[in-house]
Amino acid sequence: MHMDRLREIYNYREMIYMMVRRDLRGRYKGSVLGFFWTFLNPLLQLGVYTIVFSIILRSDIEKYYLYLFIALIPWLFMANSVQGGATCVLAQKSMVTKIYFPRQVLPITHVTTGFVNMLLCFVVVFLVAGFSVGLNIMALPYLIPTMVIEYILALGLCFIAAAVTVYFRDMEHILGIAVMAWQFLSPIMYPPDIVPERLQPIFNLNPMTPITSAYRSVLYYKRPPDLTTMLAALAMGLVFLVFGWFLFEKMQRHFAEEL
Amino acid sequence: MENNIAISCRNLTKDFKVYFDKGSSLKEKILFRNRRRYEDRIVLDDVSFDVKKGEAIGIIGENGCGKSTLLKLLSRILYPDNGTVEIEGRVSALIELGAGFHPDMSGRENIYTNASIFGLKKEEIDDRLQAIIDFSELGDYIDNPVRTYSSGMYMRLAFAVAINVDADVLLVDEILAVGDAAFQAKCFNRLREIKAAGTTIVIVSHSLGQIEQICERSLWICDGKIRAEGSPREVHPAYLDFMNRRNEHEPAPEPPVEEEEQPKNRWGNGNVRISALRLFTDGGEEVVENVQLGTSLRVEMEYACKRPLKKPQLNISFYRTDGVLCYATGLMVEDELGTAMTGQGTVTMEIGRILLLPAQYSIDVSITGEDGFAYDDWHDARRFVMCCPQVEPGIVRLEHTWECTQAPDAKETNATEGDGEPCRKKNP
Repeated sequence: MHMDRLREIYNYREMIYMMVRRDLRGRYKGSVLGFFWTFLNPLLQLGVYTIVFSIILRSDIEKYYLYLFIALIPWLFMANSVQGGATCVLAQKSMVTKIYFPRQVLPITHVTTGFVNMLLCFVVVFLVAGFSVGLNIMALPYLIPTMVIEYILALGLCFIAAAVTVYFRDMEHILGIAVMAWQFLSPIMYPPDIVPERLQPIFNLNPMTPITSAYRSVLYYKRPPDLTTMLAALAMGLVFLVFGWFLFEKMQRHFAEEL
Repeated sequence: MENNIAISCRNLTKDFKVYFDKGSSLKEKILFRNRRRYEDRIVLDDVSFDVKKGEAIGIIGENGCGKSTLLKLLSRILYPDNGTVEIEGRVSALIELGAGFHPDMSGRENIYTNASIFGLKKEEIDDRLQAIIDFSELGDYIDNPVRTYSSGMYMRLAFAVAINVDADVLLVDEILAVGDAAFQAKCFNRLREIKAAGTTIVIVSHSLGQIEQICERSLWICDGKIRAEGSPREVHPAYLDFMNRRNEHEPAPEPPVEEEEQPKNRWGNGNVRISALRLFTDGGEEVVENVQLGTSLRVEMEYACKRPLKKPQLNISFYRTDGVLCYATGLMVEDELGTAMTGQGTVTMEIGRILLLPAQYSIDVSITGEDGFAYDDWHDARRFVMCCPQVEPGIVRLEHTWECTQAPDAKETNATEGDGEPCRKKNP
């Protein structure tokens, strides 16, 4: 049954492709700068951080704006996958109640759109990192598994968030707070080693900890990430994906009635 | 599932929880637990049926009877609470048109998005692209953003995509009300082509006429159960009769017409009766049985009204007795009379040259109100046999002339008497 579903989703790959394309192109349609906003947006964010953290909130960390920026772009993808993902089935109500297609397409589309958007933002990340600290060609390939692991985790969480929100609309708002808390519990704005020693084991259970560290390792410290933590992150991502898959498959049967 | 079965439904049951006051937020779930009362409404109750490959079947029933739910179960949008649906081959559902259209994108791009939602792959869409554009009649507008389209253009594009999906099983829900009359006719013809190509079709419609034209079988759903099943010509009159009676019992009961002994081929509430239907030939002679092909035919229908009717329409259909509908037409009697239809009268239909080919034919007449309900519906009111010395296959003779031309060929033409002149032969 699950294999059939996987095959079916594969057969609907054109739909995923078209929907991702539509979302990406449709996002800035009508605005003067159009698609250019995809790059302009992270650049402007970076500008704000640079001003705030080099003039007002000065940090001990060298080139803190880059330190933060490298972690922030992947985080924004994760946050959007979970928080925006919560409503990705709800938002397509008219399609879900009127047309058959494997429902998994909706979260996959949502996460993939965010993922492609992140990849485009990485053009800016590379530029900034390249000018600021330089790039290590030997370490860069490690970005690929890091991104794949993050995608797996994001997709798993999106499945869960989307399925639950259909039945329980408060989830959307609960997730708003939860995601904010998660941001502060992940080493995005601070280095992981400032967390008290005795809390470290719990802290490391957060799958975003190894993922963030891996991005930073490659782009900020210019060295390959620690492989054991990567594997731990992969394992956690897969647990969420498998759990999310089964939960979504079970709950999607009654989507059309609940909407 | 047997080989020649396309859709097999067994013991389908579906019930919905109908909440009196539904809330799906936490506050509502906890605080108003008492208010979250609901009743289980059984929408479909143990429905079983099969549809053969290549068969077209119509599902009829009043609003809320469960026919749309049934279609949603077939299309897998809903899952049954009990029972199974098995469908062979690719299913396409014309339920929602224009899914995923983005107003800022061009018609062409939206074709790709929309078709991909129906599960088509890139190459499959490429193959159909031209057919879709042609069918939509959008021409050069296809590269303009969809937001600049009129609603008619929008629906034409949406329908063009949906109808070109090429499924093995096509599910259609009340969508033939798209665009202008010409486009509707085109859609309908396309549906016929699809059927001729061997696609299994399930149609949900309020338009019994459409179902009669395309379906071999009708399924009448009433209160979640199959009430009747059979050829549309048998099921529909019974259905209309049932609806008439129900309407009469409900809100404003019209004074009941005394029930007459009704023959089996006659339905309707009896507010008007066609008392006689007579056929006359050229010379004014009444037809006994035979009608010569090519002669004129006059159909006289006498009617008697029991009470004034609202916008009555008189319909007449010519069937070959093996069930092929040869021709049907209707008349708004009021417009013709210039006054309301009351009392008694006669409607005459003059057919200049009747060109139906030799066979036995039957005539159905009915008088319906503006909502389509029959006041009188008389099947097989009259039979006649067409005669003609010439034997030609088909349903109807198309009046024609022949013309042949041949280029003069040096040797051959000299040898024969032909001189290259076009020769004409007029059909008698």
